[in-house]
Amino acid sequence: MQNQLIIAIGVFLITYLMIMSEKLNRTAVAMVGAITMVILNIEAQEKALQYVDFNTIGLLIGMMIIVNIMKKSGIFQYVAIRAAKLAKGDPWKIILYFAAITALSSAFLDNVTTVLLIVPVTLVICDTLELNPIPFLVPVILIANIGGTATLIGDPPNIMIGSATGLGFMDFAVHLAPVVVVIFIVTMFAFKYGYRLQYIASDANKAKVLLLDEKLAIKDPILMKKSIVVLAMTVIGFIFHQTLHYESATVALFAASVLLLISKVDVEDIFIDIEWPTIFFFVSLFILVGALEEVGVMKFLASKLLELTDGNMMMTMIVILWVSAIASSVLDNIPFVATMIPLIKNYGEMSNLDVSPLWWALSLGACLGGNGTLIGASANVIVHGLLTRHGHKMSFGYYMKIGFPLMIVSIMISTVYLVLFII
Amino acid sequence: MRKLMNAEIMEHDFKLRQMGADVYVLNSKMCYVLFMVGKHEISYVYNINTKGRYFLERIKPYPLALREFESEADVIEIMLIDLEQFKNASQSHNIDVFIDINKRFNLSLRKFEDLFLYFNVPKETAEHIQAELDRIDALIVETRQTAERLYFKKNPDNL
Repeated sequence: MQNQLIIAIGVFLITYLMIMSEKLNRTAVAMVGAITMVILNIEAQEKALQYVDFNTIGLLIGMMIIVNIMKKSGIFQYVAIRAAKLAKGDPWKIILYFAAITALSSAFLDNVTTVLLIVPVTLVICDTLELNPIPFLVPVILIANIGGTATLIGDPPNIMIGSATGLGFMDFAVHLAPVVVVIFIVTMFAFKYGYRLQYIASDANKAKVLLLDEKLAIKDPILMKKSIVVLAMTVIGFIFHQTLHYESATVALFAASVLLLISKVDVEDIFIDIEWPTIFFFVSLFILVGALEEVGVMKFLASKLLELTDGNMMMTMIVILWVSAIASSVLDNIPFVATMIPLIKNYGEMSNLDVSPLWWALSLGACLGGNGTLIGASANVIVHGLLTRHGHKMSFGYYMKIGFPLMIVSIMISTVYLVLFII
Repeated sequence: MRKLMNAEIMEHDFKLRQMGADVYVLNSKMCYVLFMVGKHEISYVYNINTKGRYFLERIKPYPLALREFESEADVIEIMLIDLEQFKNASQSHNIDVFIDINKRFNLSLRKFEDLFLYFNVPKETAEHIQAELDRIDALIVETRQTAERLYFKKNPDNL
């Protein structure tokens, strides 16, 4: 048992360090680590698979299918052009409307998908206005991560937390959406002030934006209508999934399969675009963390945390919030949350305390923390990649000077919110 | 990387639709094929898509669109013939001249296109170019009558 403990910790730490180093593909590293746990008999294959949270996996796959079909209709481009025209080409109003679309979209779709949908349109609008896209896309990054924090399905950490704890869509919306709205408003005020000299365009270029035709963006009007109906039904399904005693994955997969059937799209094409590396990364992390649970590491760490905090819930909550935020600003938040979930669960069992404030602290810290640096979240990395492909340079330092202080502000707001309204 | 590629496709799609185009994005695989015939590189690209259409293009030694095909066998066959013909031609001491002439034809074609798209070309000049082309065409046909044939597996497509 002693040997198994040492081997499990060793394999876990090596895997974790290799994921952090980003020298090798994170999915390949996590898969090797997970299979090594099985080969070394830390956990038998059947046991390892029991640790995989298939609700998280199902929810991720279901939402990816829905988005992959929806984006074929052109709905996102349609909404973006309508917003730009509503803003009459005014740069500040455009970024405000785009931020609102981003926040809303990332609350219901994952953040990476949201930025992949909004960034191409933003780049075209910036081209039209002859403006540098960076002051438009930095807010998009931050708002995507902020908006994703608001709901169960908005960000992978929330999906994992919800699935592991049984907290539902409405639990997340009720406990996190209010503070997310406050953080959104504060962040947008900061951008309005900070980038005020960048949001200026000539009248001629503003007029060009009005010439964009939103109707041309619609690729398939019938598919668009079907997608809107299915998405609306999905959201309603999420709102009532606890009342109806359905897992969130059941709602997502049902909606995805119905949309696959009625949209008449090429199913193979849709499945190609499912992010299988992300799915396998999750599966591997569940197995890796499961191995630590199997040998009792999580119980040991939880007992130490209990000793350290002496069961003081407020202190534990604040520590989890800030540690999650700082860690997530430089590390991948998915393995971090995967590790924290069993730790907090064990902490709750040992202390007999209601640990629900800790889940909200973990969610806020892990989701908002990603805004701290350019590598803090997948959305940041994707936007940076797209900017680079377009010949725009945004350095790590430039982003950090904006993102890190705003992340700290958002965590300070979260601290006040948790202390005043949650605990 | 695939995500970035998809985002870029979305941006192109957005721009092209605003220009009035219908855009169809097909999942496909692009194959790059490289042969070395002596010191000459012969390379092709072709695209396989789920609709069962193949778009073949020669890249080197000089670019040439080699049509659209309906089966993979046709693509391989056309490359095989092309390669055999280049191997034959490479035995000739005229190979470098042949490649050079082809490159110049390609360049002249692009210059001609620029001339007509960017400038108002007088009618006499257009007629003069046509006459020059007729002269070159006649020279090619005349040479075909007298030159020794080297390749018999298939008849020429255009001559």
